[in-house]
Amino acid sequence: MQKTSQSSPSRRPDNTAYKQQQLPACRVQLTASRVLLCFFATGLSCLAMGIVLLLSAKGIQEVEINYTETCADCAALRENADNFDKECSCSIPFNIPQAMQGDVYMFYKLYGFYQNLYQYVLSRSNIQLVGTDVKHTDGCDPFATLNGTPIAPCGAIANSMFNDTIILSYNFNSSEDIKVPMLNQGIAWWTDKYVKFQNPSFNDLPSAFEGTVKPPSWSQPAYELDADTPENNGFTNDAFIVWMRTAAFPTFKKLYRRLHRTQHFTEGLPAGSYSLHITYNFPVTKFHGEKSVVLSTLTWSGGSSLFLGLAYTVTGAVTWLAFFSMMAVYVTMEKRI
Amino acid sequence: MEREAAAAPEPGPRGRRRRRRRRREGRTRTVRSNLQPPPGAEEPRAGAGKGALRRRCGCPPYVADNRLKTTKYTLLSFLPKNLFEQFHRLANVYFVFIALLNFVPAVNAFQPGLALAPVLFILAVTAFKDLWEDYSRHRSDHEINHLGCLVFSREEKQYVNRFWKEIHVGDFVRLHCNEIIPADILLLSSSDPDGLCHIETANLDGETNLKRRQVVRGFSELVSEFNPLTFTSVIECEKPNNDLTRFHGCIIHDNGKKSGLCKENLLLRGCTIRNTEAVVGIVIYAGHETKALLNNSGPRYKRSQLERQMNCDVLWCVLLLICMSLFSAVGHGLWVQRYAEKKALFEVPEADGSSLPPVTAAVYSFLTMIIVLQVLIPISLYVSIEIVKVCQVYFINQDIELYDEETDSQLQCRALNITEDLGQIQYIFSDKTGTLTENKMVFRRCIVSGVEYSHDANALRLARYQEAEEEEEESVPRGGSLPHRYSMGSYQGIRILNRSHSTKSHRRSSSRAEAKRMSTLSEHTAFSSPMEKNITPDPKLLQKVIECDRCLAKARHHEHPLAHLSPEQLDIFDFFIALTVCNTVVVTSPDQPRQKVRVRFEMKSPVKTIEEFLRRFTPSRLTSGCTSIGNLAPNKSANKSGSTFLPALTNDSTLFRLDEPLGRSPLAINSNGYSNGAPDRWVPENPGLEREPEPQAEPEPEPEPEPEPEPEPEPEPEPQAEPEPEPRPQRESERELRYEAESPDEAALVYAARAYRCTLVDRLPDQVSVELPQLGTLTFEVLHTLGFDSIRKRMSVVIRHPLTDDICVYTKGADSMVMDLLLPCSSDDPRGRHHKKIRRKTQHYLNHYAVEGLRTLCIAKRVLSKEEYAGWLQGHLEAESSLENREELLFQSATRLETNLHLLGATGIEDRLQDGVPETIAKLHQAGLQIWVLTGDKQETAINIAYACKLLDHDEEVITLNAESQEACAALLDQTINYVQSKNPSSSLERTETSLSVAFSSLCSPLASSTSHPSPSLVIDGRSLAFALEKTLEDKFLFLAKQCRSVLCCRSTPLQKSMVVKLIRSKLNAMTLAIGDGANDVSMIQVADVGVGISGQEGMQAVMASDFAVPRFRYLERLLIVHGHWCYSRLANMVLYFFYKNTMFVCLLFWFQFYCGFSASTMIDQWYLIFFNLLFSSLPQLVTGVLDKDVPAQVLLNKPQLYKSGQNREEYQPLTFWLNMVDAAFQSLVCFFIPYLAYYDSDTDVFTWGTPITAIALFTFMLHLGIETKTWTWLNWTASGFSVLLFFTVALIYNSSCATCYPPSNPHWSMQTLLGDPLFYLTCFLAPVTALLPRLFCKALQGSLCPNDLQKGRQLAKSITAIDTFVQEELRTESSEQKKRSTSACPFQDSIAQPACPTKASEEPHAMALNVPLKEDTLVEGLGRQAPGSSMPEEEEAVLEEHPGNSKRKPVNTGGTAPLSSIFNLPNFSSLNWISSLSLVSGLGSVLQFSRSSLQMEKQDSDFLPSTPQPDQELQATDYF
Repeated sequence: MQKTSQSSPSRRPDNTAYKQQQLPACRVQLTASRVLLCFFATGLSCLAMGIVLLLSAKGIQEVEINYTETCADCAALRENADNFDKECSCSIPFNIPQAMQGDVYMFYKLYGFYQNLYQYVLSRSNIQLVGTDVKHTDGCDPFATLNGTPIAPCGAIANSMFNDTIILSYNFNSSEDIKVPMLNQGIAWWTDKYVKFQNPSFNDLPSAFEGTVKPPSWSQPAYELDADTPENNGFTNDAFIVWMRTAAFPTFKKLYRRLHRTQHFTEGLPAGSYSLHITYNFPVTKFHGEKSVVLSTLTWSGGSSLFLGLAYTVTGAVTWLAFFSMMAVYVTMEKRI
Repeated sequence: MEREAAAAPEPGPRGRRRRRRRRREGRTRTVRSNLQPPPGAEEPRAGAGKGALRRRCGCPPYVADNRLKTTKYTLLSFLPKNLFEQFHRLANVYFVFIALLNFVPAVNAFQPGLALAPVLFILAVTAFKDLWEDYSRHRSDHEINHLGCLVFSREEKQYVNRFWKEIHVGDFVRLHCNEIIPADILLLSSSDPDGLCHIETANLDGETNLKRRQVVRGFSELVSEFNPLTFTSVIECEKPNNDLTRFHGCIIHDNGKKSGLCKENLLLRGCTIRNTEAVVGIVIYAGHETKALLNNSGPRYKRSQLERQMNCDVLWCVLLLICMSLFSAVGHGLWVQRYAEKKALFEVPEADGSSLPPVTAAVYSFLTMIIVLQVLIPISLYVSIEIVKVCQVYFINQDIELYDEETDSQLQCRALNITEDLGQIQYIFSDKTGTLTENKMVFRRCIVSGVEYSHDANALRLARYQEAEEEEEESVPRGGSLPHRYSMGSYQGIRILNRSHSTKSHRRSSSRAEAKRMSTLSEHTAFSSPMEKNITPDPKLLQKVIECDRCLAKARHHEHPLAHLSPEQLDIFDFFIALTVCNTVVVTSPDQPRQKVRVRFEMKSPVKTIEEFLRRFTPSRLTSGCTSIGNLAPNKSANKSGSTFLPALTNDSTLFRLDEPLGRSPLAINSNGYSNGAPDRWVPENPGLEREPEPQAEPEPEPEPEPEPEPEPEPEPEPQAEPEPEPRPQRESERELRYEAESPDEAALVYAARAYRCTLVDRLPDQVSVELPQLGTLTFEVLHTLGFDSIRKRMSVVIRHPLTDDICVYTKGADSMVMDLLLPCSSDDPRGRHHKKIRRKTQHYLNHYAVEGLRTLCIAKRVLSKEEYAGWLQGHLEAESSLENREELLFQSATRLETNLHLLGATGIEDRLQDGVPETIAKLHQAGLQIWVLTGDKQETAINIAYACKLLDHDEEVITLNAESQEACAALLDQTINYVQSKNPSSSLERTETSLSVAFSSLCSPLASSTSHPSPSLVIDGRSLAFALEKTLEDKFLFLAKQCRSVLCCRSTPLQKSMVVKLIRSKLNAMTLAIGDGANDVSMIQVADVGVGISGQEGMQAVMASDFAVPRFRYLERLLIVHGHWCYSRLANMVLYFFYKNTMFVCLLFWFQFYCGFSASTMIDQWYLIFFNLLFSSLPQLVTGVLDKDVPAQVLLNKPQLYKSGQNREEYQPLTFWLNMVDAAFQSLVCFFIPYLAYYDSDTDVFTWGTPITAIALFTFMLHLGIETKTWTWLNWTASGFSVLLFFTVALIYNSSCATCYPPSNPHWSMQTLLGDPLFYLTCFLAPVTALLPRLFCKALQGSLCPNDLQKGRQLAKSITAIDTFVQEELRTESSEQKKRSTSACPFQDSIAQPACPTKASEEPHAMALNVPLKEDTLVEGLGRQAPGSSMPEEEEAVLEEHPGNSKRKPVNTGGTAPLSSIFNLPNFSSLNWISSLSLVSGLGSVLQFSRSSLQMEKQDSDFLPSTPQPDQELQATDYF
């Protein structure tokens, strides 16, 4: 119905590379000859990286002490929820055959603890944790309130916080036990400690937490988490923050302490016999979980990633294998041609 | 009623005005003038309420004004309506359901608002698209609605300017020249004294010729200006319908008189008034009731094959999703049960402290999992596909190779969503006329009175017409051999020349074509290229015509002027009169465009009533009528001398008529020539009739023999007797006439008659003026015109002969029809025998014509007595005015008239093949397409055309099925099937498969292809087809047809065409494409999977019904083989990639369920999860989906076999789909477990661990796409880079934006931390590499060990490009050296005659070029074949030689005379224009072939036969290379 437009007499399309689909293009041709180089280079780099990683992983030292069964008595005690206020501790001697050089970190490791459960992960109140409103417990059900009083910190994550106390002592000269100095701060992300987690702004913590109750599984309120350092209390408690960062897998370790490199321990942990004194609070046997303490050093690439080195090496090797077979194909093809 | 407010400025009389009266009485509508008070509307005086009133007084509440509203929505209705429409899509409903599921607290996986985001995004995108489309529609509507036109206003008693939208049914509209008609208007008055009006219907049907419209009978007599106020008649007509060619109704005058209305009275909306100063009419249909709008059905929605397959796979994905969710649910249930009594610390109990029962937990988990894994059903897939298709359509439209310079039109995609179907076509159903042929009719030969005039000079002229466009091609005029043979040869010659012309036309600098286009534009007429206009007359016939003319001139004062002619002369005279008169050609003059050339006598309409007939035919009236003819209009007459004695002549004849006894036997009248006592004795008995007819026996007692041989002193200096070889005889008379015909063959015939100086000078509805050199202008009174229709296959005019005053019927029609209608002649009297003989001869020649592929028409005549005429007229008028059964009655009436005809002669019109048709068909055959040609033509004509266009091959078998009955057909089918099976024991499908693979493997050995058996072709005629399509036989028929390479159905009806297509489509489950250009192809086009219309000369009906409209048949090749392949391959790959991507992503989430107790937890942040598909990973695949070219165009065109991959759906098969899924699963395993193991036993948290996985997935997707993408342009790079960048930018911004938001992930600073972690980089590198290693390895291995055809093609492309660049460099520097070397190559061909050397040389490198990327031994072999014993240069040289031959076809074409050096000294041209000439390579092999055969033709001269098998084989070999 439109009037035929006489103004543009030609409907000839523009002869541009784009409109004619003639843009300069590099053509990918997947044949043996063309991917040879690619395979070779990939294999080489993977192998190299793998070896580097393996070598660096070799420098990592790790000691793991599983104390689920060692403290069986305590475990049995903890299985009954009524005994929650009974003290139970045990001591586990162990030996470090080789000195652990450098920074040594102490982790606690839980087996079969599903911190990544969907409902569990949700069960927290970020508003409360950032200190805006200490009584904000939305999303924390069923650990939001206790008899009508809001729980601080609320939610299942906070409620199930790992609360064993682990003290490492060094059996110096086989007679004298020295308590290995450990720091319980600086183990959480900086942003967590200073951005995501904030105590309600009051002069003193107890009044800040007024009107709330402690989580049902906790033995002490949040503002008494660290008796030694007052500023490491409440929501900004490092151990609490670490716990609140829900682990990815049912088996996980979390940083508990880091070695304070003073006195005998400036070089790390010397070889020798040590013992762990554990105040056993955290029940795991009920769900067939296990817990252990891990002492570990770190390298540039992170944790004890022997796997990455292996993976790189294997990938590199396989790539080279592919490269050689490709080469064989190529050569035979060339010959045939 | 805002419309009324707008329409009528004063409120006063508004209440009384009844704009329209529309009563629904059965199937008719009644229209009255709005200016008159309605009949029964006296009561509403008091009530001023207009709307209520209208309803009360019986008007339908719905009234149509002329407002155009094509928009779907209004502002208010947009949202609900659009949403409603979008929710028709099941996918959208599904996604909304999922999103809403998030609002259920127990099962929600994401934040409800966030979960809605993608769905809303998709809906919004679609809604925006719809809104935009609707808005542009609204804008154009608005523009159209506000066009102005003159409407008669009751208040102002004059025409006032109104908007189009304010026009109502019953309004009077006045239109001026060149205005567009705003509504369907009944023509009541015209400034033209004849009551005529010309309209151009280009907007409606694309036909540019003028159509004549006529004022309603009864109004045409009005001399003074039409006054709408006095119009009191009532019009009854049909309900609005969409039939453009039909309009019936009647107008009832005040006095109760009725007169009929027909389509000639109706001006259709959208047409343009031409040639007429002003017209007035009453609006009959307005707005959406107009025929134009009812015809406009808008774009169609078809679901493509690929989409159907994809939907099926989507269902698989749904199943997979449900399985995964179920698995998770069961797992979660078990997990919950396991921990049920243990009261684990991490368990989150219900509010009351109890834990969920496992089953409930499982159900919840199931629902949550469905939400989490929803990505498996690709929400963005549908949108992406739509986007990609729109882009593909854009690029197809933009392809300059599909642009036709002559018609200034490019390909139009009318259906947006079946582009990829183009790549999967298996069957092509083609129309013949106008599709394969040009539908440009050229008069070629004729038979008059049993004598054949071969018009050799005309054939030469046609040949030369082509040559004129070539540079210098020297064509020796061949002496007269056998006429038939000769014409065959010349015919082929034309074709060949034509072909080389076509392939060259691409490259020829556009100036000429431009000029041509401009000229066609300025001419503005259809069917009048000089080739059609200038016809060289046959000298013999011309001589006879002149003689006849001379006789007549002398005899015109005698009583019986025609009696002085011999019967043959009479036939010749009548023959040309019939050619001139029996048509509907409109005469215009070019100097005053669109101005009618007129020789007017008196206003006189054709006979329409009996009274009128009687009145006119009473003697007194006759005399007066004739004297009135005497008032020759002074304005226009070529030769005064002729006109001056015309009155006398007619008066004489009147007298003669009066004297004549009325009771003559019809037989006597019919054989008019003999009625005057023409003796029978003259009839020659010798068979050499055609040689020496009859100048001898002039039996009439005419005293003046006057044998002066010199041309008459005419005003027109005609180049006659000798056929001068000048291609364009400058024969334009001082006033050039232009003929505009509805069909091209009419114009061809009129031009042919003009060549014999029987010139049509004017045509009015009631009279036709014919100018004869001696007689001057003769004016024939046209009493009736019975138009052409496809059932009768003929048309007739009833005229009163000015010389004899006889009432003559001239009929022109298909020979099959006309031959049956001839007057039966008894064999006992000599005249009857003579007639029989003439008929036999005519039939004989007609058969020859058909073999030559000419369109044949028979011309016949009948003389009616007045009584007969009166009797017939009575019946005819009744038929005309009846409302029911009108068609049938008219048909019967026409049949009554068209009987007992006397055969005058027959014509053969050539419908030339379109450019490039044979090559296109050859390519399409190679591409594995089966081509069916369905035509209404005669079998012989069709077969011949089929041979000409290479549909049939001379060395292949042709099975012809002609059966008279069902049983015979069945038997024949059985027999044929047996025969075919005995020949090829293996089943057809496999066989073609192997033969094609053989064909392709001939890539390696060009000689191998010749060994494959040609499959037979099938020819079936319409009647047999009808039998074969019966339920009982269709299976057999299909079985047979499947085995045939091509099938030719002759004499098939439009219905049969569509039935065949439907049958193939449903029974063989094959992809079908139908291509046609005319209305008779519409049904076929609509039925096929892909309908292609040719936007040619036969109007736009086919285009309107089609999905794609191409200007020419040859563009089909590129459309299918290049664009079809690309579209299919792109979409298939993109869809596969989509499935891969989503599966892989979802699997990542699924594996995680094993580590989170199947609790539907995700490690990937919900934001990433939701936007990953939508934003981060969508762009590169879109770019690839739009731009990727798996094989470049020139390779695709060179090797049409590659098209088979689309036909076999190789790229997207269930197997590939599942392999893809398995690969996706594998990759997801790698991408999950590498990070898992790397982070295992670390203190990472869920989401910090999920982020690397997201990044890994992104990298893997990009790399995977990289492997899948075949061509990398900067767009691909940009898109990929952008995606990665976008992800990291968004992640960084998101992770630093809010410390407390976005639970549960709360990813504050995660990305930033990760970027500082080497582990992140290490995993991000390792995982994608490992994941893609197997795929890359397999692909590379497969690509080099057993590459498929596409990969081979790609390799070839690579080498071609390499060669090209190499050649460019080389040739620039050492072209001279090349010249030497190549000329020295000539002597190698020791055994070949020297003249043939250039062709050989040009062909030989061609063959070698194919060997280049391939094996050396075949190369040597090929060389050995070409030049035995020669130590041919190695690859490089071959390459170098090949290239110029390849790209530079000009010298090759011009053939043997071109010096070889010219072949090689144009490399710069080719290299510079490499890109633009890519496609030219396509036709290369064939071009060489044809130039070669043309050379042969020259050499062998008249001996040349087009069917020599050798060229065909060569063609195959070269094309496979």
